[in-house]
Amino acid sequence: MPSSSDSSSLRGRRRTLAIFVNTAIACIGGALTALVGAFALRPQSGAAAGARWFRAGTTEDLKPDEPVPRVLAVSRVDGWYRERARQTVFLVWDGDRTIRALSATCTHLGCQVRWDAPAKKFRCPCHGGVYGPDGAVVEGPPPRPLDTIEARIDPKNQTVLVRI
Amino acid sequence: MKDWLDARIGYREAAHVMLDEPLPPGTGWFFTLGSVLLGLLSVQLLTGAFLTLYYAPTPDHAYDSVRFITSLPAGRIVRGLHHYGASFLVVALALHMLRVIAFGSYKPPREVTWLSGLVLLALVLAFALTGYLLPWDQRAYWATVVTINISQLTPLGGEIVAGILRGGATIGALTLTRWYAAHVIFLPAALVVLVVAHLFLMRRHGISGPVRSHTGPSQAFYPFQASRDVTVVTVVLIALLVWAWRGVPALEAPADPTDATYVPRPEWYFLGLFQLLKYFPGKWEVVGAMVIPGIAAGFLALLPWIDRGPERDPRKRRRLMTVVAIGVAGVGLLTTLGWRDSPASAAVGDTWTLREIGGRAFVQKAACSKCHSEDGVADPLEGMAATRTLEWIGGHVADPEMIAPGLREAPTVVHEREAAAMVAYVRRASRQPYPGFPEQVETVGPIFARYCVGCHKIEGDGGTEGPDLTHAGEKHDAATLRRWIVDPELVDPDADMPSFGDRLSAAQLDAISAYLAARK
Repeated sequence: MPSSSDSSSLRGRRRTLAIFVNTAIACIGGALTALVGAFALRPQSGAAAGARWFRAGTTEDLKPDEPVPRVLAVSRVDGWYRERARQTVFLVWDGDRTIRALSATCTHLGCQVRWDAPAKKFRCPCHGGVYGPDGAVVEGPPPRPLDTIEARIDPKNQTVLVRI
Repeated sequence: MKDWLDARIGYREAAHVMLDEPLPPGTGWFFTLGSVLLGLLSVQLLTGAFLTLYYAPTPDHAYDSVRFITSLPAGRIVRGLHHYGASFLVVALALHMLRVIAFGSYKPPREVTWLSGLVLLALVLAFALTGYLLPWDQRAYWATVVTINISQLTPLGGEIVAGILRGGATIGALTLTRWYAAHVIFLPAALVVLVVAHLFLMRRHGISGPVRSHTGPSQAFYPFQASRDVTVVTVVLIALLVWAWRGVPALEAPADPTDATYVPRPEWYFLGLFQLLKYFPGKWEVVGAMVIPGIAAGFLALLPWIDRGPERDPRKRRRLMTVVAIGVAGVGLLTTLGWRDSPASAAVGDTWTLREIGGRAFVQKAACSKCHSEDGVADPLEGMAATRTLEWIGGHVADPEMIAPGLREAPTVVHEREAAAMVAYVRRASRQPYPGFPEQVETVGPIFARYCVGCHKIEGDGGTEGPDLTHAGEKHDAATLRRWIVDPELVDPDADMPSFGDRLSAAQLDAISAYLAARK
């Protein structure tokens, strides 16, 4: 028959051990959660891909004030995956030293626009967005003009370079 | 609030069933190993599940994705925990099993609990085997080649077993997805079912307890035994964390089925089996691969019926303990011998070969760096994971249009051996930065890699038709060697070697003969 002091010391021991067990399990669980949390939430830090200059033809391929589509192969790093993505840009040359490059991606929902030469307009096949030759919205749902891409002409050899 | 929740889900009842199991007096530290296994298995399941966020089970991408995982903030640790956790698990399993054997815990009515434990052991080894392939590096690939070849020894239908393991005609994409599916879907499902069954049986019969009954009241599992369990689990997990923190799990060069120089080496817990095979050559191989391991497994499975008496004290079961001790010593001895016998993995090429040094010159000559540079359109060659085959890279350097239309200059013709040297260089440089070599070596590298390597070996790399040139300087001086290279028939009318007098410049001839003469 345990005395009352025995049973109260057992109760005290029981409480201390319960606190120890619960704390240890909480610490292990917390540490593991923090670890896999950091692992799951921050995948991008490895790859900071900067823009690069790409050769997109020469001015000989272009007509003044007429948008010409060029398909560029752009190398991209997506986590462990290195891909050569194809991206269309429209080059608009003023016939002299200035070149503009317009993204072919419609600013509405991301479809690829086409150049309608007779009407001198870009048309988006998806929802009827229409842009002028300078990329400004003429009609339809697009919220803003076509994105412009940094472009320049290398004066040495008339090569057109765009920065993607 | 607690009453409200309890009335609906009954958690107090559940907690009572889970935690308040009365344990026999004298249950001690030896009985914590089951919880250690549970803790380690939980870590494996958790880290494994998160590793699938980034892992890609295809031969083209598996290696890159594992490299990427290692580059992530906590990736090195998560992969380390999973990698070394497997080893910890095998050790804890062995200790748990030895405890059960020593305490006679498999005796009636716990025979089925014991058998379920043996199935769990087999499952854990299957996990280890399938997981080993997934990084798709040299080690993974060649260990799997050996495993599948061993499975072919299965009596009656070895080829069928090997075919099931391989998936396709050769070890490749179908093998990888198959082993991946086994590792992350089928085996975990079986594991969870068996762990639940094992625990259910353990609770159904109660734990076997100490071999001699102690006096005193029984104690509830929680928090008394639980505090011992948690203490040991915490110590083990901290040890695992320290291990994972200190060592990056090895990731060797990408799998290369054409590499004849690679010496496969299994994970340490399979080294004993690997060593056993060496003692049974030829048609006896099946004895080492199947018969002896089969006898050991059969002995373990039949143990409750071999060791029948009610006595559980190991001191009174001397004969069985002797057999078990011999078995443990045998496994330990074989593992140690296997460890000593296998070449240190670093010994396979920690030094640059002449071909690799020569490859660097070709890479620079062919203007690879025009595109492959920090600000070029392609990634720098150094540090790139060269997972492509020699044929692919040969095609790439011969026909740039194939890779990037409009971006490359007209192709320059590259000799097959130059392409091979470039591949060798890129593979080496992805693991080890170029240390720089004396000018003479850098001059000779491309000459050797282009003209000599097809027939001659230096330090283990090269062809076997001509003599090994590693110690060419022992027998000949530079002048003789030079004459020999210029026109072999002048020195020896029966020589098979073509003359190189018109293919190498005087400076090149001087360099290569001086280099060879210095090799003593």
